[in-house]
Amino acid sequence: MNQNLEKIRDQYQEKVINLKTDQELESLRIELFGRNGLFNDLFTKLKEISVDERRIYGQELNVTKNELERLIAIQSQKVVKTTIIKKGLEYSVKSKIISLPKIGHLHPITQTERQLNEVFRKLGFSVYNSPEIVTDEFNFERLNVPQNHPARDMQDSIYIKEPEYLLRTQTSTIESYLLKAKSQDLPIRAAFPGSVFRNEKVNRSNHFVFHQYQAVVVDKNITMKDLIGTMDLMFKTLYGPDVVVRYRCKYYPEVEPGVGPDMQCFNCHGKGCPLCKYAGWIEMGGSGMIHPKVLEAAGIDPKVWSGFAFGMGLDRWTMAQKNIKDIRTLMGGNLAYKPNEL
Amino acid sequence: MKLIYSELKKFLPDLKVEPQQLRDDLTMIGHFTNFFEEIDGEIVFDLDIKVNRGDCLGYYGLAKDLSVFYNLPLQNLSQPVNNQSKNQLPIKITTENVKRVMAVKISNLKNNSSPQWLQTFLKCHGVHSINTLVDLTNYVMFLYGIPNHAFDTAKSGENLIWEMNSKFKEFISLDGSKLILNNKILMINNPNKTLSLSFWGGESCAIDLETTETIIELAIYDRTTVRQNSRQLKSVTEASIRLEKDLDPELIPTAFKHLANLILENCDGQINSQIFDHYPKKADLPQIEFDPKKPSLISGIKIPADFSLDCLKRLGCQINNLIITPPSFRKDVTIEADLIEEVIRFWGYQKIPTNQPLVFKEVIDITPKEVYLIENLKDQLVQLGYDEVLTWPLVTTPIDKKTVITTQNSINSEAIYLRQSLIPSLFQQLDQYNRFKLPEPQFFEIGKIFSKEGDSFVEKNALGIYNHNQSQLLIDLEKLNLKTQITDNNFAEIIIDNLSKPEKYIPNQHQNNAIELTSQIITLDANIILDTKEDPIKLIEKYSQIIDSKNLWKLIVTDIYQDSKTNKYRYTFQASYFNLDDKTAKLIHLKTFDLI
Repeated sequence: MNQNLEKIRDQYQEKVINLKTDQELESLRIELFGRNGLFNDLFTKLKEISVDERRIYGQELNVTKNELERLIAIQSQKVVKTTIIKKGLEYSVKSKIISLPKIGHLHPITQTERQLNEVFRKLGFSVYNSPEIVTDEFNFERLNVPQNHPARDMQDSIYIKEPEYLLRTQTSTIESYLLKAKSQDLPIRAAFPGSVFRNEKVNRSNHFVFHQYQAVVVDKNITMKDLIGTMDLMFKTLYGPDVVVRYRCKYYPEVEPGVGPDMQCFNCHGKGCPLCKYAGWIEMGGSGMIHPKVLEAAGIDPKVWSGFAFGMGLDRWTMAQKNIKDIRTLMGGNLAYKPNEL
Repeated sequence: MKLIYSELKKFLPDLKVEPQQLRDDLTMIGHFTNFFEEIDGEIVFDLDIKVNRGDCLGYYGLAKDLSVFYNLPLQNLSQPVNNQSKNQLPIKITTENVKRVMAVKISNLKNNSSPQWLQTFLKCHGVHSINTLVDLTNYVMFLYGIPNHAFDTAKSGENLIWEMNSKFKEFISLDGSKLILNNKILMINNPNKTLSLSFWGGESCAIDLETTETIIELAIYDRTTVRQNSRQLKSVTEASIRLEKDLDPELIPTAFKHLANLILENCDGQINSQIFDHYPKKADLPQIEFDPKKPSLISGIKIPADFSLDCLKRLGCQINNLIITPPSFRKDVTIEADLIEEVIRFWGYQKIPTNQPLVFKEVIDITPKEVYLIENLKDQLVQLGYDEVLTWPLVTTPIDKKTVITTQNSINSEAIYLRQSLIPSLFQQLDQYNRFKLPEPQFFEIGKIFSKEGDSFVEKNALGIYNHNQSQLLIDLEKLNLKTQITDNNFAEIIIDNLSKPEKYIPNQHQNNAIELTSQIITLDANIILDTKEDPIKLIEKYSQIIDSKNLWKLIVTDIYQDSKTNKYRYTFQASYFNLDDKTAKLIHLKTFDLI
């Protein structure tokens, strides 16, 4: 039977390649896959053989069918192309649809990630990643957040197997993996975009999954001036040269000193409005010098090496940039792209 | 946390800055201040206090920080408690989870509704006024950040016992909530009944206007116990928020005396016992080696060593040959890096230049090759006209129940399984697009899929792809050299981890528009008759310039026909409009193609 299938495949392969019109292809398609076609007949005959044979032969039959379908589809495209080229602008008879070429699009989050990757690549950074299912050790302990630390309240975790396995709550978790993996390959310059998870109800403003971007440097003599200068470069790349950002003292357990960048509200220019909750400033993420305990946890001597880390959320920025009002739009929602440049 | 400017000035009488400036200064030194507003003639600030600064959950702690920043003297508002009697309170402490308790009995009280100043204070803090005695306990909690409680001794008796619950099944709180207890709950009871949780008073001994005698207590507990109790009982109070932070038992006497004197001033009464003080173990303070050059080395700017030492001294640190002992209230200062942050924040983060980023440095490229592969695939797919989508990694239905990974506590009960394939999620995306009548969708996602293999959790990178045109999908997969089956409904999926990976790949930069669809796309036909034959692409360009790009989704020519009798040409257009209602779309359509 197998030999029979091979013969069928070879015979029709040759036939398909030589067909030149839509009509010819359609006739062949019906001959093979129509209600009374060859393959329906072969599938019907499966009943006549033993269960074991049926399983093996059935699979092979499917493979052959798929392959011939694929060939017909490819030939069909070639035929259409030839027809259109032949016709040129002679549209005196009913023709195919005419439109501008279809353009593909990257998701706005990917666009932003690439924009940032480019900034950091030019500074010698690699782009790193790590698992999304993580352990408590990498998500909290190595980041200076022991059990029952109040900082754990800042992040409601989604557990896979409590208390050990959870979905990462922050891109700092990638930093934990990075520092452990590369503690003997210093210095490090790495940036990492990533999805992170929090146990939040999904609604117009909140989601259980969102996107962060983080950059980490470990080297000798790294300072807050390096951190703030680099962050400012990043913000100017994203928001333009006139963006006003202030850098203030902020707490994150994995850094010390901690730095909080705030962007002057683009809506009210610092006067205070509902968008910035009347603060005049919008919090842009968190950063700081890597905490000595975090370096020690990775086996890096904080007396020799220092470093900085900063992270920011991408969703809000992307929403503002693309005028998206509902965070659900970004993930499996009603985000769409115009098919061509109109 | 709320902060009333006039109350803050009681601790800092020489504070003269404008509210706007105070807001900015508080923020820069680490106490993010959202805004300030006027409530009943008071200027009230709204602050976010860092989780490691339990000492700043009261006016006193914030005033201390500001006294260092502005170099102003701090006023002590607490006076000694006079006229104690010889009676000893029969209080028992049976658990090590109590770090310190101070208590005293006050008799012959006249409790009333609160004076206006106290009512206004509480209103600014979003708390309802109850009566003078209760309101004063809240007032002192806000001033010093240390929760406290007043028991009506007519109801509670004097035999207060701090214990881990062993015999009581339930507790009725001050607001009447019934809480089910277990034996891990830290309680204040008397021998016969529950009186209070560590962080919430009980109904059974509540203070009211008839109260004439009270035992007041201020206490600090093991914060982990309070945190766990609060979570177990699903109850968060102003007291629990504070008690689960690392508070300073050394501050209790100051706050205690202030409360006792306020009660005597506002409710009359006399002290009717000795002051009870249970303080079994003073915490050791850290001894930290400090190099005054470090703030400069870490900040990257020059900070004089004199400033560093003076700053730490003003913070209350003991300095002995560069060994620094931080004050007891600064539980967050335990290592040299903490001292460095203190110096830099008071020197001013704003003095660090913002225009000196890192410069390029050649370091080992540690980019995993799969990152290059993913970027490369995305670019190829976009070139082929596919749009990238992102879908939920948590799904409602497992594909294989044996290997699916289930989340344990997801509050989105409709999505508890980690996806095992991208196709069901992409199918939902297609469904969404169909609902919006999006013409001819073709899209892809590259993301993680998950499964359980034995005791291990496995993550794989997968590409899922859809094209409304199956033939085109087959061709595109061939172009990408991806060998996979196509489902009946035009989806394909492939695990990409095993594909050959590029050594390096620099992805293309894209900046194109994405649109949030808010209503169905409306597609309308139009025929136009022309005397001469025209290039249909040029006609598409011409008409698309007439329609506002904010509304035009797509414009195509579906037919061109030459009438043999008139020799004229009929062009049939199909225009798709988005984020418009039917009526407006039709109006624009008719105007554009001159059909009115």
